[in-house]
Amino acid sequence: MPRGGEASTVSAPDREAYAARQAQLLDALLRGGEPPAGFDAAQAAAAGSSLRRKRARAVAQAWPALALQLGDTFGPCFDAFARAADAPASGGPLADGLAFARSLRHATPLDDDARVELLLTRAALRRRGIFVGAAWLRRPRRRLLVVARLPGLGVMHCSVPRRRPRPG
Amino acid sequence: MPTTPVRWQLGQGAAWRPQLDGALARARELGFIEVIAEAIGAHDLPAGVAAAIERGLQVVPHGVSLSLGGAERPDDRRLEHLASVAERVNAPLVSEHIAFVRADGRESGHLLPVPRTREALDILSENVAIAQAALPVPLALEHVAALVQWPDAEMDEATFVTQLVERTGALLLLDLSNLYANAHNHGYDALESLVRFPLERIAYVHVGGGRMRDGVYHDTHADPVVPGVLHLVEELFALTDAPGVLLERDDDFPPEAELLAELHAIADAARRGSEHRVGA
Repeated sequence: MPRGGEASTVSAPDREAYAARQAQLLDALLRGGEPPAGFDAAQAAAAGSSLRRKRARAVAQAWPALALQLGDTFGPCFDAFARAADAPASGGPLADGLAFARSLRHATPLDDDARVELLLTRAALRRRGIFVGAAWLRRPRRRLLVVARLPGLGVMHCSVPRRRPRPG
Repeated sequence: MPTTPVRWQLGQGAAWRPQLDGALARARELGFIEVIAEAIGAHDLPAGVAAAIERGLQVVPHGVSLSLGGAERPDDRRLEHLASVAERVNAPLVSEHIAFVRADGRESGHLLPVPRTREALDILSENVAIAQAALPVPLALEHVAALVQWPDAEMDEATFVTQLVERTGALLLLDLSNLYANAHNHGYDALESLVRFPLERIAYVHVGGGRMRDGVYHDTHADPVVPGVLHLVEELFALTDAPGVLLERDDDFPPEAELLAELHAIADAARRGSEHRVGA
């Protein structure tokens, strides 16, 4: 049996080579690209899509309105996004979903609920300072939703109709 | 390296998740719960976890982000957090994985396997020793379910895990679902592998649900426990009495009755195994 003391004799270059090999594998899994030489391509593809599915699941749970709007297209849309962009280092599924929602905005206009979700999430992710954001909503009538987060006061919102209702 | 004797009895366990709080509070036969260390604050326990401690349940913090199998040495702040959670819940032990979760500054979002080589064993052993030195309680190591295998394996999983626990004195968190998954997906016999794990070093056992998709078994923790895994519980207890068996359910949470039925099925399998033990 090897002795525990041997562990401390690992030199820095061993860790560097090890780091490079792990980084190569991780890159292939995250991007869904070709795995490093020697790896089984089908296994790597299954492992990569499992990572992206797990990430998609967490985002769908954190962004229910967005997931509802996209329905069955959520999975494929998120997979394409995830291959191109790593999950953010902080902020978890809320921040990941924010980047995803922003990546969609040109191709898929968000519906009212998803826009409200996006605005509230941006306010929630702002940990310090002041946040003010606004979005035009369409239903039941066109109005501007304003969300603000102020230090000590938390998140507040109000909506302003586009046109004042005519009197009488 | 001196080994820590396994001297606690945990009994039946369940992984605590906020969504299961009510069901687990009513599961009277539980002896312990496991909490994801990164998901809770060291000073501000979720009410359900505090209530479980009050009820006399033991709590095992389970880490998922140390990346003990990574090329970098484990991060001091992550270790400090795990240690302070262990102290806060008065844990008998903590557990982590034989896996890497980040490389080159990028997070994988899940547990990835390490190459089963002597070089990886050296690095892992050093990382585990660093973690053990920073933790106030014994550390148990869990082997993971891996859809992808490194091409240059110098030994099989049972041998790799045995060498790691022998070198570090760590305990074993035996995950029977991971064993089942790897045996099925990589074409070897689960039972033949099981008997060669260091069973005398078991701290406790994990059992989780999974699903077959296109011939590949996925360890989802979002589906029922499959019969093949329950069979491994029975076979394990026919060999030895493990100090505890814990059900992991992380998603697609079932109705309470279904969850309790699954806990009972696991306990029944363990009891059947114990009864059939040769010499019992």
